[in-house]
Amino acid sequence: MSTTTIKSDYLLLFRGNVWDRGLSPAQLQKVVSDWMAWFERLKAEGKCAGGHPLEEEGKVVSGKQGRTVVDGPFAESKEAIGGYFYLTVADENEAIEIAQQCPGLEYGAVVEVRPVADICSVKQRAEEYSPRQMVEATA
Amino acid sequence: MLLFRGPHWDRGLGGEELQQVMDNVMAWFEGLNQRGKIKASQPLAPQGRIISGTNGRFVLDGPFAESKEAVGGYLLLRADDFSEAVEIARSMPALRYGVTVEVRPVLAQCPIFERHPDIVRRAREPVDRVMEPLAEIAA
Repeated sequence: MSTTTIKSDYLLLFRGNVWDRGLSPAQLQKVVSDWMAWFERLKAEGKCAGGHPLEEEGKVVSGKQGRTVVDGPFAESKEAIGGYFYLTVADENEAIEIAQQCPGLEYGAVVEVRPVADICSVKQRAEEYSPRQMVEATA
Repeated sequence: MLLFRGPHWDRGLGGEELQQVMDNVMAWFEGLNQRGKIKASQPLAPQGRIISGTNGRFVLDGPFAESKEAVGGYLLLRADDFSEAVEIARSMPALRYGVTVEVRPVLAQCPIFERHPDIVRRAREPVDRVMEPLAEIAA
């Protein structure tokens, strides 16, 4: 007999990229090794499909035809996204439990837990807005 | 990595216009995909959780749904270089309606860890030791 478990995907976004400021070498040693062990364990358990740190500086593109290109996000920001994990877990509770294990939390890191969607919410609204046109477009 | 910010740019657009933009966005994705530029890309569900504090004791709903800063989805690019990534971001069809695209280089090593190379080297040692027996089993 086999049981089927429905898995769902979540993105953990790590926010804050300067939380290491002011930590002692011993604290740093611990948080760095804890973080790496946490990532390796989640991968070994099949709960984390991957993840990446992001370079602190990038570009922010906006405006018609992307005419505004500025440096960003601000290098020292509590909001800036510093990296992400891609999780495949049983449900939201498990994703939250994993987020709560993040070793940077006690130093001010913030973890945003976001369900990965099947369909873009704007596309969904567009379809709800004009079902007739969608039928025509896909016919 | 491209982060699409401001997931409510469709507010105030009429059905036909919205449909037109969505068609353009889908064609943009398809074009990038055919050129082999997309490693991964997914929309995120609007509502998630924000975890903070020691042991993740604060669990709040978020991000704020109406926020222009909220991340609505991501696109992991396979770009030749950073300027190609910025050019691709600038060609995103929804920019004129207020979407912002953040372009961030993906790194192999976390910048926070990079600021403390000695600590990372020491922290890696136990992981390497743990990995050795696994490698033997695999061989």
